[in-house]
Amino acid sequence: MSNNWEMVIGLEVHAQLKTSSKLFSSSPNQFGSEPNENVNFIDSGMPGMLPVLNFACIEKAIKTGFALNFTINKYSVFERKNYFYPDLPQGYQISQFEFPILTEGFINIDNGQDQKKIRIERAHLEQDAGKSIHDIDPKYSFIDLNRVGTPLLEIVSYPDLSSADEVVNYMSTLRQILMYIDVCDGNMQEGSLRADVNLSIRKPGGDLGTRCEIKNLNSFKFIKQAIEFEFQRQIEVLESGGSVEQNTMLFDTNTGETRAMRSKEFSHDYRYFPDPDLLPVNITQEQIDKIQPTLGELPNQKLDRYISELKIEKDISKIIISEKENTKVFEQMVNDTEVPPKLIASWLVGDIFAFVKENNLDVSSLLEKTKVIVELLKLISDDVISNKVGKEILPQVLNGENSPMEIVKKMGLEQVSDTSELEKIINESLQDEEENIAKFQGGSDRVLGYFVGKCLKASKGKGNPKLINELLLEKLKK
Amino acid sequence: MKQSISQIKNSLKKKSISVEELHDEFFKKAKLNYNNAYNLITDKAQNKSLINESQKRYDNSNSLPLDGIPLGIKDLFCTKGVRTTASSKILSNFTPNYESFVTQQLLNNGSIFIGKNNCDEFAMGSSNETSHFGPVINPWKNKNEPNNNLVPGGSSGGSAAAVAEGSCVASMGTDTGGSIRQPASLCGIVGLKPTFGSCSRWGIVAFASSLDQAGPLTNCVEDAAHILNSINKYDFNDSTSSNHKRDDYVKDLNKKFEKKIKIGIPSDYLKDVSQDILNQIENAKKVLSQHDIEFIDVEFTTTEYALSTYYILAPAEASSNLARYDGIRYGVREKGENLDDIYLNSRTKGFGDEVKRRILIGAYVLSAGYYDAYYRQAQKVRRLIKNDFERILRDVDFILTPTTPNEAFKIGDKLDPISMYKNDIYTVPTSLAGLPGVSIPSGLSSNGLPLGIQFIGNYFQEKKLLQLAALAEKELAFNE
Amino acid sequence: MSDIDIKRISYLAKLKLPQEKEEFYANSLKEIIKWVDNLKQIDTNEVKPLHNVINATESIRNDEINKHNSVEEVLSNAPERAQNFFKVPKVVD
Ligand SMILES: [Mg+2]
Ligand SMILES: [Zn+2]
Repeated sequence: MSNNWEMVIGLEVHAQLKTSSKLFSSSPNQFGSEPNENVNFIDSGMPGMLPVLNFACIEKAIKTGFALNFTINKYSVFERKNYFYPDLPQGYQISQFEFPILTEGFINIDNGQDQKKIRIERAHLEQDAGKSIHDIDPKYSFIDLNRVGTPLLEIVSYPDLSSADEVVNYMSTLRQILMYIDVCDGNMQEGSLRADVNLSIRKPGGDLGTRCEIKNLNSFKFIKQAIEFEFQRQIEVLESGGSVEQNTMLFDTNTGETRAMRSKEFSHDYRYFPDPDLLPVNITQEQIDKIQPTLGELPNQKLDRYISELKIEKDISKIIISEKENTKVFEQMVNDTEVPPKLIASWLVGDIFAFVKENNLDVSSLLEKTKVIVELLKLISDDVISNKVGKEILPQVLNGENSPMEIVKKMGLEQVSDTSELEKIINESLQDEEENIAKFQGGSDRVLGYFVGKCLKASKGKGNPKLINELLLEKLKK
Repeated sequence: MKQSISQIKNSLKKKSISVEELHDEFFKKAKLNYNNAYNLITDKAQNKSLINESQKRYDNSNSLPLDGIPLGIKDLFCTKGVRTTASSKILSNFTPNYESFVTQQLLNNGSIFIGKNNCDEFAMGSSNETSHFGPVINPWKNKNEPNNNLVPGGSSGGSAAAVAEGSCVASMGTDTGGSIRQPASLCGIVGLKPTFGSCSRWGIVAFASSLDQAGPLTNCVEDAAHILNSINKYDFNDSTSSNHKRDDYVKDLNKKFEKKIKIGIPSDYLKDVSQDILNQIENAKKVLSQHDIEFIDVEFTTTEYALSTYYILAPAEASSNLARYDGIRYGVREKGENLDDIYLNSRTKGFGDEVKRRILIGAYVLSAGYYDAYYRQAQKVRRLIKNDFERILRDVDFILTPTTPNEAFKIGDKLDPISMYKNDIYTVPTSLAGLPGVSIPSGLSSNGLPLGIQFIGNYFQEKKLLQLAALAEKELAFNE
Repeated sequence: MSDIDIKRISYLAKLKLPQEKEEFYANSLKEIIKWVDNLKQIDTNEVKPLHNVINATESIRNDEINKHNSVEEVLSNAPERAQNFFKVPKVVD
């Protein structure tokens, strides 16, 4: 039934900016403090208090402008968005409306095979609101204003998204970029990145239906669930002959359902007007030019470089670039050694990440260990130890018990690459094997593997397989 | 005869009076609160250490510019540890934990606050009748109806009455559309509104942010210059504060102008005004003409639109500025079944009629469908008004106008809001342009009530403006 | 000028006008709006709105923390509080 319908989605993403202080006040922009600890008289909306703009927020917006291909507007205006809510001490939110700092950007998202361009209408700076806590007391809500005034960049896409997966893809691409350029910490659990989903449905080629906005989703899982539920809900409404009402919806994380917010007697009217406490923001070309070099390599640029210059497979490259921390660890290792990047990459996304996950560590904790890891990998690539031995001693190396070389020596795990020793082993292994030798000489290559295996076993796994291979061939061909 | 700040300081320096004796003299008068000019009189105990410190500085001959001077402060300035109400019920229990920038400067310069002056609620009014603490009474009486209580003007009515009655040496007021100049005129004292951006708005309860400006109400022009010297400073924490070099406004105050001065008199301001008012302008013209000052007729093209522009923009800003008064974080919270009831009850009962009226006007002109026709149009006309002033100030150095279209009227006389709003017809255009204006007493009406004239100068030209005002004051000196 | 929907305006302004006062305010508002309607006579097509008479701000902050008050000072005027929270009747969305 739902095959007949398609969804049309636009996303409003709120990204908290990574700054020390707030957008218009100098109190700390910090998560997890004691209630009302990060609040000054400006934040709590005391009479006569006035906002002063934090320039770091403008800088972060400009950075975002470059990264998301926006037009960066030299003239922008802060306006007041007027509404009443206990989280909103001033009775208005300072935001940008008619003249936002960024307009007309886009990003490309990877849709498996091909790329899709998602156009972004605008991005503007605004203040975050505080938090009401409803679950301490059955009759009262408690208000904590710590979050008030936290700088937000609201990034508003065009309705270019057409499935839940695409939305998640777009949002995670956005998240990745914002983290790379150090604009947002990307911590969705703490609310650093939240999305409002605007969803409407239509028949292919048909007219767009009325849209509903699902507010404040802060995990990819919830975004997916909410979209899928809302899509079905709208279909059911229309197919049963009803009509979709333009509504603001809330997503219930317990039931996985969306529901309309308590209907208001009158519709919203935010009465935006330029904030008379603030003057228009004028930024110069010079200021913009200064910021561009601080941008660093963006994720897609890194991906291209890993694949074409470092010759790393696409899938592995993608895993590495998915988090900025990964690339820091990876690049630190590549810079420290001549061990082939490809070997480093496959070890990193394989056993090393597995270790990190098993031990509940942060990837960033590896930054202090790259030297010893690289030492270990060097032993492998120099054939001092085998791959298998490397895997066995990796945990000891990462736990910092000893240097890789010492572990290897202490345990006697060095690979045997001494030709005379190996020849002895080979000679022993070829005894009583006339039949198989004849088979090999008759053209059966498979027998070679059998001999290599036999030799390795005889060396208790320490024989250098590459050398064994070579020596065997020499011998058999005689 | 009232003494000027310089004269008082001389007495303190000569020890013919102590700081405490001076304080008590004004304190006693203020305590009587004859004219309801105070919402609060500062406890003497609270001022005791300030008095002692001030006396010590006099004893050591290192007194500060305003040392020991008893001042009144409009109850719109937040004063640390001292109740600040904006004459509104909703703030009637509010004690800020911070000191406004301007009052901090006054304290830094040694002055001592006698109390918080009554004013119109949230500075919205021109007669000081909208105060939650009741109307202020003008110390002056109509000689033909001596039993009637008259308004002092507004919104800094308490400040004007307090200075006029002699319960403080000077008072800090605020002016949004005439709120310093108009009451000064009606109470026979000096009132200065500096250029917008001169004195920080930080810590002043906001009415209309793009217009609000602090300034002094004083007995004489020289006192205004003394106070301006203290408060006229760049403040980083007010984004609309101007960072230009400030003059010394007292120095050279009585010096002659170096070159010939031109003053424009707008003919369109003088249409339909009473003979009493016309006489003030004519008289000022006559006495000043003896001082190498040339008067020329000028004409504005925007005067008839100024009040409309103001009564769109100011309420629009106010409707938003007053949204923070909701009974949640401070102020009076009324009972309610749920949160929305608390909001509604606190705001409905906490604000008086005039404040509610302006909030409603403001919400209306900003609302969807009306924004362009009212708010945006008013912002455009505001530019035309500013251009109009700039055009005229290219030809003349100053503009001379009446301060008000009438003398002080009876309390309760003007019930209709529009006729009340028209009180500010001569002061509002200057406010919209952001220019400085000073009102000085110019004489008495036929009813024996004070009238004032206004001089308007160019942006940040307060020094010259006060020089002119001081000259006019000397020439116009009249006996009460 | 169109009619003024006083109910809607007071809803936006979070004011609860008693029924008997609604008409008073509606009329008063109507009169004032009619009075300011003269602005419509002016051709302002070529005029840019004026936000503020000051042209440019001198106040742009560096990103530094600078906080001089305590939690107690923020909460000292609160009509109702619970520990270090402001307290209000339960908010339902
Ligand atoms: Mg939204
Ligand atoms: Zn937003």
